[in-house]
Parts: sequence; structure tokens; C-alpha cells
Amino acid sequence: MAEIKKVAVIGAGVMGAGIAAHVANAGIPVLLLDIVPAGAENRNVIAEGAVARMLKADPAPFMSKRAAKLVSTGNVEDHLGQLADCDWIVEAVIERLDIKQDLYARIEAVRKEGSVVSSNTSTIPLSVLVQGLPERFQQDFCITHFFNPPRYMRLLEVVKGPKTKADAVASVSRFADVMLGKTIVDCKDSPGFIANRLGVYWIQTAVVEAMDAGLEVEEADAVIGKPMGIPKTGVFGLIDLVGLDLMPHVISSMVSSLPASDPFHAANREMPVVKKMIAEGFTGRKGKGGFYRLNRAGGAKIKEAIDLATGAYRAQKTAELEIPKKFRDLMAADTKAGRYAWRVMAQTLAYAASLLPEATDTIPSIDEAMRLGYNWKFGPFELIDQLGAAWFAARLAKEGLPVPALLTLAGERSFYRVEAGKKQVLGLDGQYHDLVRAEGVLLLSDIKLSAAPLLKNGSAALWDIGDGVTCFEFTSKMNAVDPDIMALLGKALKLTAKSYKAMVIYNEGSNFSAGANLGLALFAANIAAWTEIEQMVAAGQETYKALKYAPFPVVGAPSGLALGGGCEVLLHCAAVQAHAETYVGLVECGVGLIPGWGGCKEMLARWAANPKMPKGPMPAVAKVFETISTATVAKSAAEAKELLFLRPSDGITMNRDRLLADAKARALAMVEGYTAPAPADYILPGESARVGMEMAVDGFHRRGIATKHDRVVAGELARVLSGNGADISKPVDEAHILEAERAAFMRLVRHPGTLARIESILETGKPLRN
Amino acid sequence: MANYQAPLRDMRFVLYELNQGADLCKLPGLEDMTPDLFDPVLEEAAKLCEQVLHPLNRSGDEEGCTWENGQVRTPQGFKQAYELFRDGGWTGLACAPEFGGQGMPQMINTLVSEMICATNLSFGMYPGLSHGAYTALYAHASDDLKAAYLPKLVDGTWSGTMCLTEPHCGTDLGLCRTKAVPQADGSYKITGTKIFISAGEHDLTENIIHLVLARLPDAPKGIKGISLFLVPKFLPDAQGNPGPRNGAACGSIEHKMGIKASATCVMNFDEATGWLVGEAGKGMRAMFTMMNEERLAVGVQGLGLAEASYQGAVAYARDRLQGRSLSGVKAPDKAADPIIHHPDVRRMLLTIRATTEGCRALAAWVANRLDVAEHSVEPQEKRDAEDFVAVMTPIVKALMTDLAFEAANHGMQVFGGHGFIREHGMEQLVRDCRIAQIYEGANGIQALDLVGRKMPAHAGRYLRAFFHPVGDFIAAHVEDDELGPFVQPLAKAFVRLQQATGQIARVGLAKPEEAAAAATDYLRLFGLVALAYQWARMAQIALPKADADPFYRAKLGTARFFMERMLPQTGGLFSALMAGGGSLMDFPEEAF
Repeated sequence: MAEIKKVAVIGAGVMGAGIAAHVANAGIPVLLLDIVPAGAENRNVIAEGAVARMLKADPAPFMSKRAAKLVSTGNVEDHLGQLADCDWIVEAVIERLDIKQDLYARIEAVRKEGSVVSSNTSTIPLSVLVQGLPERFQQDFCITHFFNPPRYMRLLEVVKGPKTKADAVASVSRFADVMLGKTIVDCKDSPGFIANRLGVYWIQTAVVEAMDAGLEVEEADAVIGKPMGIPKTGVFGLIDLVGLDLMPHVISSMVSSLPASDPFHAANREMPVVKKMIAEGFTGRKGKGGFYRLNRAGGAKIKEAIDLATGAYRAQKTAELEIPKKFRDLMAADTKAGRYAWRVMAQTLAYAASLLPEATDTIPSIDEAMRLGYNWKFGPFELIDQLGAAWFAARLAKEGLPVPALLTLAGERSFYRVEAGKKQVLGLDGQYHDLVRAEGVLLLSDIKLSAAPLLKNGSAALWDIGDGVTCFEFTSKMNAVDPDIMALLGKALKLTAKSYKAMVIYNEGSNFSAGANLGLALFAANIAAWTEIEQMVAAGQETYKALKYAPFPVVGAPSGLALGGGCEVLLHCAAVQAHAETYVGLVECGVGLIPGWGGCKEMLARWAANPKMPKGPMPAVAKVFETISTATVAKSAAEAKELLFLRPSDGITMNRDRLLADAKARALAMVEGYTAPAPADYILPGESARVGMEMAVDGFHRRGIATKHDRVVAGELARVLSGNGADISKPVDEAHILEAERAAFMRLVRHPGTLARIESILETGKPLRN
Repeated sequence: MANYQAPLRDMRFVLYELNQGADLCKLPGLEDMTPDLFDPVLEEAAKLCEQVLHPLNRSGDEEGCTWENGQVRTPQGFKQAYELFRDGGWTGLACAPEFGGQGMPQMINTLVSEMICATNLSFGMYPGLSHGAYTALYAHASDDLKAAYLPKLVDGTWSGTMCLTEPHCGTDLGLCRTKAVPQADGSYKITGTKIFISAGEHDLTENIIHLVLARLPDAPKGIKGISLFLVPKFLPDAQGNPGPRNGAACGSIEHKMGIKASATCVMNFDEATGWLVGEAGKGMRAMFTMMNEERLAVGVQGLGLAEASYQGAVAYARDRLQGRSLSGVKAPDKAADPIIHHPDVRRMLLTIRATTEGCRALAAWVANRLDVAEHSVEPQEKRDAEDFVAVMTPIVKALMTDLAFEAANHGMQVFGGHGFIREHGMEQLVRDCRIAQIYEGANGIQALDLVGRKMPAHAGRYLRAFFHPVGDFIAAHVEDDELGPFVQPLAKAFVRLQQATGQIARVGLAKPEEAAAAATDYLRLFGLVALAYQWARMAQIALPKADADPFYRAKLGTARFFMERMLPQTGGLFSALMAGGGSLMDFPEEAF
């Protein structure tokens, strides 16, 4: 299996450029080529323009500016020769067979032996793409179908042809998994593969059934949403995101290639309302609006939605339907909501069951495709298990709908089960098989199937993850850091010191931790429980100190948001192994507070020790002041390193599923000869620096950039960072800074401006600029 | 029957010294409201209550109301008393000047109400209900309705009612069945039966204006489908005078434990003509507008009765000779010592006294914030006041009526057997007081309102309006040499309240039933802390003046009693509520 060290992407459209950017995110050099437009002065203009656009785009395709430098640009007329250096060549050009095949022939002429070529096509079968091409090409060719945007969508559908070498697919799959962080779903060479075929069928069915049943778009989205673990955008909201105009393309390609017997045709119906919307430019969020829009006419912002019957916009309304919380209760309900849910989901789930073995041989492939491609919380077969396969089959039969063979095969059984602590899935042979995780994949959810926690309370748990390593897991709501977490972390450190070698702090929530439990803090402040709040701050400082000076290595392993108190826990770990999509920041100032659990202290130490900083204590202090006072959040793990939320030596894992294993390996590697860090001394600039920082904020205030309360908060931060009256000639210790953090925190938490900010975040989710 | 003297000295203390009543005129719209206006109002009110209302209290109780052929006759003397009351302008005391009212602040209204309730609660019900109707119409009715009805409600020629309860629904008004059918002329036809309607029918006024909760034909189920309608007994003619009789009739009156001179009616609406007040479907909101005021008013009913009981009990305890003092003979010239020398009698007297003076201070505090909430134009100040009123309303209603009932009982107990017979009027106070714990939202419902609605709102923001000033006061004075002994018990109880609040908020979030199980004990704990804060503040004012004036010396003495002998109940309440709801909910239903 060849190692992929250099990649080429041909076609610098949205997908091709995004794929190239993501390869660069993995630290791999990538060549991005496109055609030379007629009469162009700059022959690389398309590829160069794509990179320039991506540097400004939000959400950003690049994880860091450094990554962008790994992309070299060119055109297919002058630079095709450079493909000779590339181990993997991705074709992402327009969906036209003649153009693709012509390009393949030219690639074949220059590419090196053993390199792999893949297409990002979503509509053209592999068998058609390789027709007439040389044997060597066919052996090294597969389809790698990325989803938009390539950096953020974890799904990658891989299709191999009958002649494709196992090695070729394996090396690309391995690279996409480990380096690009994708979850590979192996698909057969059938139209639309899995995600598009099933997903578009689902969307189309939901639209058609909503029109037939006379549902409002709000009603449809409320039903096809939360009770089944589907994002609250529902169906119409999702179409707005994808683009109304894209749908007919995907549908027509599928309609043209699926046999007449396929249920897909039934869901494909001419919809004049939608046609009219597209024609008038209402193509969704990228256009003038979609099924929903924010009408800004006349200065006011009015939320509107389309009346499906007339195609006219009207004020958005809240769906007033009785919707049971449980999926099965909803499907069984003889109500407007229940009947609609049944019509849409029964057909969708039955269609999913009918896709085996045509589109894939395994049930998890279908589930994975829908979970990762559409952010469903549960895949179709997991949903069928919630209904009961037998119940579902019986109801289908009762309503005269075809019962897929797979449902009959399952009979009274579920598709998934846990047997002896192992998750198993039903195979097409009618037998259960263990779900096998790839090497290097370790999931806490798997461990939980067969083990009890070593320690546990309402907000956290400690697990034995083998080889002498414990895993500390946050389990509180939104993984918010609260006194229970602090208490259990203290116990976990003691237990690990006594009986284990190392600890990993990790969880499988969508966010590592968005920070301290603000609701609790605000409530405590509202009842004037100042002593309790101060104890909460002090206990956090003590616990994080114990974490930092633990006699064994502790490795933080975040993914998603790690903010405030969730960032501070990482700052105290001996090392961090972060998922690439980790967003770290000390955001306390946004709610009118300052980091009080040692965040100021640790950031001061990191920047003071940074060899790149100019001499003297002030530059480090100024840098930390800037980072914290503006509540800067790193938009990737790579960016977190630039901001020193992560150390240069900390690791980054691209694949979410490999994070725990990587963190555990890092922890074990540190065990031998591990000694806790020596407490640092701090030389801080003192009063004059505080005054300087305050003056800077006053300047921002005068220019209208900083608000009245920003001044108060920044003033307190300046006091802490300058050393709270420290003398530049006398180093202070950690305790001195911690005390200053605590005192400043306590002054701020009593301030009405701070309380108003916290209340605003909790109630509206929006920061208050007071 | 015991004499009543309005406690004007204490009222002035609460108004001017404890609550800066002289500053009320700084609020927009209250510019004319100065002490030179307040003092005569309080004195005149005292005179009217002492001389006109009080003498009718016992006779009204004995005679009760009479129903005959749909007509209700109030007891003898009530009509004449009402005319005096109306002529004195008392019906419009706290109503807006634009409709003929005197525009007095809530603080003054509260003190006057106390006197009325102390002397004749049954009588007070009639103008009280009118004021409630006035408040709802003032806040929500169309300008036409206001112009047609408010002046007459304000000058007292017409009276008002609140028609909420139906035979099958009281607390849960979402079940309300009374129907309202729209008519072509914009009016509605109202049909249904309402029960427990105070002042639903009587002979004091020429017309009665019913405010009726009813459901429109297409209204959704539950509370969102309820609208509020104005239904007059007589439809006004073109001149605005009572015209044709409307289809609103009194079917019967209830026979009750207390407030017997207040007519409690079954009202039958039979295609009665009515008009929508406020928006359709927003009936409950319109009712809740006046709830804060009404619930404070019911708390004040309790306060008035407790004060009356205190005055009766003290007079009797001075007079009644039984046994000898255990510390030596006090009245050697008499056959026995007056019972006021016995510790247990003192315990009862001081309990009532600490209740009345504490509750008067608490009611004035809330009334003061209500004035700020109603009149302030400074958004932050207004919101803080609204927050405070929101959290204190259920406390004032339930705490003050519960304590008042206990106080009335103590007062009767001081009389021994003479309290149990009618002659002295002490048992009437107990009977009259009992309803205050029930109507306008039973006290258990008040407790649920506190823990279920007020506590969690905006992550506890309403609580801030109470906890912050109290916390700051404690921090500032707990170390004081002289005041410290009054503040330290408050501090201790305050910590209990904080812990209980934190606990209920935590468990209540996950398990609402736990919060409900703790609610009543919690409300009492909260209320006692609020009283303790008032007592500590009163002590603060009294300390420098105590040497020169026995009034302030007595204040300190009562404060000490409250801190030492009443506030410690918070310890028991704390233990009880922290024990959780298990013992309530684990008990098998069939074992009851």
C-alpha cells in the first residue's frame, strides 16, 4: 500500500478547491489545477482565485493560513506534467463524461506507476467513467465522493470498480481516514450511491407528502425533526441550505439511471410552486430566500415562510401540532403530525431497507451515510429498531405497502444488539456479526457497553480504558463545568495516582465543554450566595492545580468547543491531543467575567516562555490581554496552537474516532520518567502596565469599539495580568495570580453589567453589548 | 365587643421612617402626593373605620346577607355606611384622576385598606372588588369602555366583580366553559354559570359591572382560549344611566364560615350582553394585571384582622385577673394578677404584635415598590421594582394570611372561653380570616407560583431584587455593636434561605415534584426572612431614638422577640424542606 505524500486535485470549483484545502489541512502538499479560460492573461487564474476566495470564506475551508501555503496552483495545459509527482489525483471537474474521459486519458499519460486516480462524481457510474480507458487506469481508479464542505463533512463514499486494485482503494481510504479524518462508507457502483439516493428520496417524499396532506412548511419541519433525531432545519430548511435549484439536477440524474420499478420515480413529481420559486431566484439561503426568508423590506426584519398552496410568502408561524417526543409514539399517532410522519418516514425507512444489497452489503453503511451526510442522530436501521422491525413490517403490510425482504429477514429481531458487551449488527446472511472498529479507533461508547465506571456522579465519570490509563468524562448538560465535575476530577486524580499510570480527559459529546455552568453561577449570584461562588472559584483553582501537578501525565483530548472553564482544564494538562476541529478560547469577558480557574495564569506562563516574544514582561502580558479581553476563539486546533491555547508540541488528530486512541497513546508515551512540572515564577510589569492597558481600552471605548462594561471587565483583567500591583523586580508565584483572578472574578460577578450579560447569553444565546 | 383604634403612629413610622413615603412625590405622576396630603387621609380613614364600619361588623356577621327572588339584601346599616364611604371619595382613593380618582399611591391605599379590613372585612369586600374591576379595565379595556364605566366605578355609584370560578374549575381556569358568542354589533352573548362571586349581587349600588372569563367559539383548549368580557347588570342607556336589565342573574348566595355580610353569589349568565376587554385569548393576562395588587390586598386583609385581634387581646389581658405572677404578686390590691403578667399570654400577645407590625412593614415595602413599578419611567428602576413585586406577591399573600390566621387564633386563645363565644367578637375574626388563606389563589398555589414560576424566571433574576438588598444590609451591619444582635439572627436565617433556594432550584429543575413538595415550607421560610429584614431595619431606626420615646423602645422589644422567638422557626422549616418530598410521594395512595 503506497503512502500518499503528495496530492493533486483537478477542478478548482467549490468541491475541488475545498478538497485541496482539506488535504493541505492535513499537512500534505497539494497541486490544484483548472483549465485556462479563453483569453486569460493569468493562465492559473481559476485555481489562484479559488485559493484567494477560500482564504476569506466563512466557515473557513483552511484550518490555518499555513495550510494555504501548501496548495500550489496551476492549469491543466501547462502543469499536467507535475502530476508525475503525485500519489493521488482527484478529479473534480464538471459532470460531463466526455470532459472527464478526455482528462483521464491525459492524466494517464503523465501519472506515475502506483498512483491512484479518483473521481468526485456524484452522478456518473464508475463503469461508465472507465469505459475505453487502459487497463492500468482502471486498476488504479475509484470514486471518492466528498460532501460539501469537504473540511467539515465527515462522510466519504468510496466506490471501486471490478478491476480496481484492492491496494489502490486501501491506500486512498486509509489516507482519507487518518489524514483527512473522513469516515469511509464503501458503496457499490449504483446510482447516487447511498447518501444522495436515500437522502434525496427522503427530502422529495417529505415535500410531496406535505403538499398532499396540506401541511405548512413549519409543521412539516417540526414533525420531520427532533422526535427522530433529525436536525431542526427539518426538510424545507435543509433544502434552503442545499439550494432549491440543485435538487432537480440530482433528481433527474437519478431518475434517468434508476430502473422504472424503483420507488424513486413515485417521489419525483413536478411541483409548480418549487419551479416558480427557482425561476424567480428564490433558490434558498444563497439566493433571495427559499421556503423561509428574512424579509428586510421596509427596514424591519420579518421572518417569513412560503405558503405551499399559493407559493406566496407569509409571516412565519409556530407549528401548533401535538408531536409526541418518542419516534414510535409519533409514528403510531393518528393525528395530522402522526400521519405525516408515518407517510414520510415509513417510505424512507422501507426504501433504505430495499437498498441492500444493491447499493451496499452492510447495514452500518446506510446508517453511517445518513448520520454523517445529513446529521441524523440515528441511522435508518437504528430508527427501525426504535419502532421494532416486526411492528414496522406489520404496519407496512397492513397499509398495503411493500415489505422489504430485509425486514422479513429480521423478523422479530432488531438490526443492532449488544451481546456480551459487544455491539453486533445483523448481516444479509441473517446472522449477527460483531461491529469491528478499524485499528486505531477507540470509542468510549464501546467501552461503556461492557464496563462500569470507576467513579461517577451527576456531572462526570471515570473509566478504565485499558493499559493502565483512565478516561475522565464530562457528562453534565452541554458538558458544562460545574462543582460536581470539580469534585469528581479531584477524586479521579487521587484514584489514578494510586492505581493507574495516566489519565485522558475526553468525552464523545458534540462539544468538549462550552465552559462553566453559567446558569448555576447566575442563580447563585442572584441569591447573593457570594461565599458559595467564591468557594466554587477556589475549588476550581485547587482542582486544576492538582491536575497540573499530578504525578502522572494527564492528556486532554478535546473536540468541538473547549471554551472558558473547558479551555482552562486543557491549559492545565501535561499535554493535549486535540481533534483538528477543536475550537478553543477563553471567552469569559464576553459574559463580563475573567478566567478565574487559572486561565490567566497559564496563558501568562505560556506567552512569557515563548521564545518569539520580544524581551521584557510587557509583550507577553499585552498578548494575553488582547487574546482574553477580545474573547478570541481559535477556529481550529491548528489556530489554537498559534494562540498558544495549545502548545507547539501538542498533537492533532484529524479523525474524530481516532482521538481517544491517539490521546491514550500519547499519555502512555509520557509515562516513563514522567515528572510533574516545576511551579513557575512570574515577572509581571505591575501598575504602570495596568494603566497602559486601561488607557488602550479607554481609547477603544472612545472610538466606540469597546462598550462601557467592556471597560470594567478589561480593567479587572488588566489588574490580574499586570500582577495586581506586582513589582517588576520581584517575581510572584502562582498563588499570587490565582488570588488576583479570584478577587477580580468576585468583583465582576456582583456587577449588574455582568449579571445582565450572563442573563442575555442564557436567555437569548446572544452576547449583550452593554 | 372590643374597641378598635387605627394604629396611626405605627403607620406613620412605616410610611415615613421605614419607607421614605415623603419621597413618593418624586415619582412621575405622584408630584402632588406629599405628607400634608397623606396625614389627613389616614386620620379621616381612621375616623370612618372606627366610627362607621366597626360598629356594623358584629351585626353584619349576625344578620348576614339575604337572597330573595334574585335580589340580595346586605345587612342593616350597610347601605348607609356605603353612602358615607362613597361620599367621602374612598372608592376612588387609588384610582386615576383622569377618571375622577384621587390618584393616591399604593402605600397609602394599603394602609387605608388595613383599617377597613380591621373594622369590617365584609364591608370592605364590596369596594375592594370594584377596585379590582377598575384595575383590569384601566389596563386593558378600550377607550370607549373606559369612558363608559370607569367614572362610575371610581365614584362608587356602580360596583364591580370578578367572575372566574365555575362549579368544576377554580385553580385550573383553563377548564372554563362559559361561552361568548360574537354578535354583529361587536358585542358578545355570554352564557354560563359562575360561582363564589363576591359582591355578585347586592343593594349598595345602582349597577354592577361583572368581568367574566369566557371562551370564544373557535378558541383553543386550555388557558390560551380564555378571554375577558365586561357584562353589566343593567345595560347603560344613551345617557350612560342603567337601562334594560341584562341576562346576568344571581341564582343564590352561599352560606359561609365567615365574611357573612359579603354576598357570595352564584351568577347565571344567560345570553347576557358583554364586550371584550383586551385581546381575544388574553383573558388570563388581563386578570393577572390586577393580581399583584389583589394579592397584596388579601395579605392586608389578614393584617387588618390580626391587628384587630391584637387590640382586643391586649385590652382583655390587662383587664382579666387570673392567678398570680410566678415572679411575685403584681396586683396585691386585687384578687389576682392581670393575665398580661403570665409568660404564655405574653408569648401570644407578642406573637400577634410582631406579626402585625412586621407584616405592616412588609406590605408597605411591597406597596412602595408597586408604586415605583407603576410610576417610574426609568427602565432599570422600573424593572427592578417589577421583579421585586413579582417575587414578593405570593409571599405577601400567603405568609400574611397564614400568620394572621394564627394571630387571630392566639387573640381568641387569650380570651379563653370568652373568646369562643360571640360576645367579644374574637371568634368572628378567626372565621373572617380563614377565607383569606383560600381565595385569590389558595396559599398552596401561591407557594407553587413562588417555586415554579417566580424562582426560575430569568435564572433567578426576580430573586435578586430581594436577596441583594438584604445581603448588602447584612454585610454592612452584621458587625455593628448595637444593631449586630438584630442582624446576626437575620444573617443566619438568610443563609438557610439561600441554601434552601439553591437546593430547590437544583432538584426542581430535574424533578418539579420535589420543588412542589418543598414549596409551602419554603414560602414560609422566605417570608420569615423578609420579616426579619424588616425587623432589623426597624431596629436600626429605633435604636438611636429608643431612649427618648417609648414607641421606639417597644419597637426594639418586639424586634428582639421576633428574632429570638419567631425567626428560629426557619431552622425547622429548613430541615423539613431539605428532607425532600419522599415521605409525601412514597406513601401509597390507597393507604390514605
